[in-house]
Amino acid sequence: MTEGALDSKTNARTPRSGGLLRIPFNIALVVPAQLTVMVVVVVPTLIVLWLAITDWQPTQAVPWYHAEPIWFWNFYDLWYDSRFVNAVLRTLFVVAACIAIELVLALGLALLFIEDWAWKKLAVSVVILPMMIIPVDAANAFFMLFNERGPINHLISLAIGQPYEFSWLSHPTWAMLPIMLAEIWQWTPLMFLLVLTGLTSLPQNQIRAAVVLGASPVRIFFRIMLPLLAPVIAIAVLIRSIETFKIFDPVYILTRGQPGGATETISMFMYNSAFVYFRFGYTAAAALIVLVVVISICIALSKPLKRHG
Amino acid sequence: MDSQSKVAVALKRSAVVLAMVFAFFPIYWLIATSLKPYDEWAAWPPVWLTDNPTLQNYRIVFFPEAARTFAAEQQGSLDYKVSGSAWKAFQDSAIISTIATIFSVAFGTLAAYSVVRFRTGGDNYPFQFLTVRMMPPIAVVVPIVALFSLLRLSDTYFGLILAYTAFTLPFSIWMIRSFIDEVPMELEGAAMVHGLGQFRAFLTVTLPLIRGGILATALFIFILNWSEFLFALVLTSGKVITVTLQVANYVSASSGKLYGVQAAMGTISTLPVIFFGYIIQRHLVRGLTFGAVKR
Repeated sequence: MTEGALDSKTNARTPRSGGLLRIPFNIALVVPAQLTVMVVVVVPTLIVLWLAITDWQPTQAVPWYHAEPIWFWNFYDLWYDSRFVNAVLRTLFVVAACIAIELVLALGLALLFIEDWAWKKLAVSVVILPMMIIPVDAANAFFMLFNERGPINHLISLAIGQPYEFSWLSHPTWAMLPIMLAEIWQWTPLMFLLVLTGLTSLPQNQIRAAVVLGASPVRIFFRIMLPLLAPVIAIAVLIRSIETFKIFDPVYILTRGQPGGATETISMFMYNSAFVYFRFGYTAAAALIVLVVVISICIALSKPLKRHG
Repeated sequence: MDSQSKVAVALKRSAVVLAMVFAFFPIYWLIATSLKPYDEWAAWPPVWLTDNPTLQNYRIVFFPEAARTFAAEQQGSLDYKVSGSAWKAFQDSAIISTIATIFSVAFGTLAAYSVVRFRTGGDNYPFQFLTVRMMPPIAVVVPIVALFSLLRLSDTYFGLILAYTAFTLPFSIWMIRSFIDEVPMELEGAAMVHGLGQFRAFLTVTLPLIRGGILATALFIFILNWSEFLFALVLTSGKVITVTLQVANYVSASSGKLYGVQAAMGTISTLPVIFFGYIIQRHLVRGLTFGAVKR
C-alpha cells in the first residue's frame, strides 16, 4: 500500500478552453496557490540573488534595493569562514547520525509491534507522543533535563556515587548531544510509524513459508523483511534527512549556537549572521549556496521518484 | 514466529515498556516541573515529584497580576516580555493558524484537483511545491524580512498568514491529491453525464467523498502552523506574538532560570496539538510523507 502516491493514475482530460483570452479553467485553479508561493518563495529567492552580491546591512542608511554591489566577495569570505564551513559539516554530521540512530531504533521498535497483544494500542499512542508535541516545547523539556541541576546529571550522580553537575549546554563538544537527543527523541516515532506501516502491509505468506522452511528470525528479517521494506525506508530516510537538514528550533532553544558557534548548524549560523550580526548580504550569499544545492538535489531526486512512482 | 517462549514474550513487552518510559519521560518532566513551587525549580538534588504541587506557574503565565506579585517577591524583576500575559500569544496563534490553515487547504484543494484531473503543468509541476518544503526556510527568511518591510507586512497577522500558507501548501496539495486520487474518475463522469459541469461534478461528488481527508489535512496543517517557530521569530517584533515565541521568551528570560513558568507555558501550549494529533493519528503518516505512504 506504500506505492502509487507519487503517480497520478489520471485519465488526462483536456479542459474546455473558453475563448482565446480567457485563462484556461485548470490554470485558474492553481493561481491562488501559485501566487502565494510566488510572493513568499520565488520573489524572495530573486532578492537573495541580489542581496548575495551586496554587503547590505539593515543598519546602513540606504534601503536594500539601493545597496552597493561588492560582487563575489561574500562567496570568497564564506569559503574561508571556518564558522560557516564548520556549520555545514556539523549539519551533515547531525543529519547522518540522527537518521542512522532513528532508523535503527525505529526498526527495532517496529519489530516489537508486529503481533497483537492486549495493550498494544495504548503502547503505540505513548510511543508516538514525542512527535505530537511542539518542537520548541520538546527542546524546552530537554533544556531542563540537561540542566546542571537537572535529572540527567542526578541520574549520573546516583550511578557514579558522587555529585555530578556537568554543564552540558555550555560545553563546546558535548552541547551538541542534548540537541541531537532532542531531535532523535522527537522524530524516532515518525520513523517508527512509517516502518510499522510498511511491516504490517508486508505479504505474510512469504514470511510464513520461510518460517515453515525453518529459517531463523534473523535471516527472515535481513533476507525477506528488509528488502521488502526498502521503499518505505527510502521514503522515511529521505523525508527525515530533508527535515533534519533544516534543524533550527532545538538549537535555538538549547544553545543558540553557543558556545562560540560550537553548536551552529546551517540554519543557526544564518540566523546568527543575519539577526545577531546583521550581515544580510553575507547571509544571503550563504542562503544562495544552500538554495542551489537543495534545488539541484530536488531536481535530481524528482526523476527517480517519478519513475519509481 | 508463532511458537515463542514466555521469556521471549516477557522480554519483548519489557522492551516496549522501556520505550514508553523513554518517550514519556521528557513530557513527564515538563508537566512535573510546571507544578513545582519556586524553591524546587532548580533544587539539588532535583525534585522528581513535588510534595507541594501548585498552580502558581500557570497563574504567572496567564495573569500579569500574578507575574508582578511573583516578580516583587522572588526575582526582583522579570523580563518585560515575560510579565505580559500568555492570553495574547494564544489568541494570536489561534487567529494566524486558523486563517492560514483555511487558505492553505482551500488553495491546496483547488490546485490538487487541477493537478489530478487535468495534469496541469505536467508531471514536474507538483514537485515545484515540494521544493518549497525541501528548502530550509532560513534561506528565504532574510529576503522575506526585506520584502515584508517594503510591503509593510512585518509584525502583522497577514504577513505570518502569508508565510504559513506558502510553506504548508506542499503538504495540502500533496495530501489532498492523494485523497482525490482514490476517488474513481468514473463517479465524476457519471455526474457529468447528468449534465453537471466538471467542476460542479467535483464539488458535488468528489468533495463530499474526501471530506474526512480534507478535515484531516486541515488539522494536520493547523498543527504545523501552531508549532511553527522560525518565521514567527523573525517576522514579528512585539505586536504579534505566537505561543512558540512566548515559550522561547520564557526560556531566554532571566537566563533561563524560570523553569516552572516555562514548563507551565510549554505544557499548556502543546495541549491543543497533542489533542489534534491523536484525532488524525491515522493520517499522520500520510501527511508527513506528502501522501507517499498510506495506511
